[in-house]
Amino acid sequence: MADAAGFYVRYYVGHQGKFGHEFLEFEFRPDGLLRYANNSNYKNDTMIRKEVHVNPAVLDEVARIITDSDILKEDDANWPMADRVGRQELEIVMGEEHISFSTTKLGSLLQVQQSKDPEGLRIFYYLVQDLKCMVFSLIGAHFKIQPIQR
Amino acid sequence: MAARDADMADLDEHPRRGARSAAARKQKGRGFRDREEMDIDDRSGPYEATERGGTGPLQSVEGWVIFIANVHEEATEEDVHETFAEFGDIKNIYLNLDRRTGFVKGYAMVEYGTKKEAQDAIDAMNGQELLTQKLAVTWCFSRGPGRAASSRATRR
Repeated sequence: MADAAGFYVRYYVGHQGKFGHEFLEFEFRPDGLLRYANNSNYKNDTMIRKEVHVNPAVLDEVARIITDSDILKEDDANWPMADRVGRQELEIVMGEEHISFSTTKLGSLLQVQQSKDPEGLRIFYYLVQDLKCMVFSLIGAHFKIQPIQR
Repeated sequence: MAARDADMADLDEHPRRGARSAAARKQKGRGFRDREEMDIDDRSGPYEATERGGTGPLQSVEGWVIFIANVHEEATEEDVHETFAEFGDIKNIYLNLDRRTGFVKGYAMVEYGTKKEAQDAIDAMNGQELLTQKLAVTWCFSRGPGRAASSRATRR
């Protein structure tokens, strides 16, 4: 399912604030390399950067979750723009499709419902949570760290 | 993230930001035009790893983790525990839920203390049913690239 030739996923969420550039980013590369970076400067917290290769079966599961979400049929044209509150980016390469969506941070489902594209944004909103949840478990299981949930 | 890694020899193949995306691919989204103005330096390495190089399963910090796919959406942690405890003492179970529906997302991770316990669980449970669904059980982490290694070799 996760065609080895091209499957790629990257998610970023972050903002510039009084604690500097705080962000979370992860990516799954075609060869199975999972990379995770998390920088929170609050209370002098430091940058965490971890990487580990996951089995092809894990990439297949990521691909399944993405396919089932139907995110590739969506478009970010009517989503709220990234702004001072923050920025999210979701980039996926899968088969013939390559999406690179960006929007602001979404604080709540209400914000999703009140947007110009609630259906599309809802798909993004839940997919991002499902992917984050999976990455936190993978990184947590392998490195025994508790990634910051945001 | 990748921009400054010396080991990313395949950078020009890398799809990041669509710079050299395969021409045949359909591109969609503002991310291709609307690049982040935030400090890109923060987003490059170095990245820590437990071990690098080689092939085969990779040991995690506190044990050996297996990955289980096609888990029934109504499976419980007890179901998973009951099924996998017979191969050894389970250190941890991850059974994540679909954030929208609240049902099991479809995968689980189980951690054992020893490689043998994990291997026994994979050998015995891969292809076996749990709540009518056939499980796919394998290692979660590996020491090096998976199947993409072959495509890397044939590049250019």
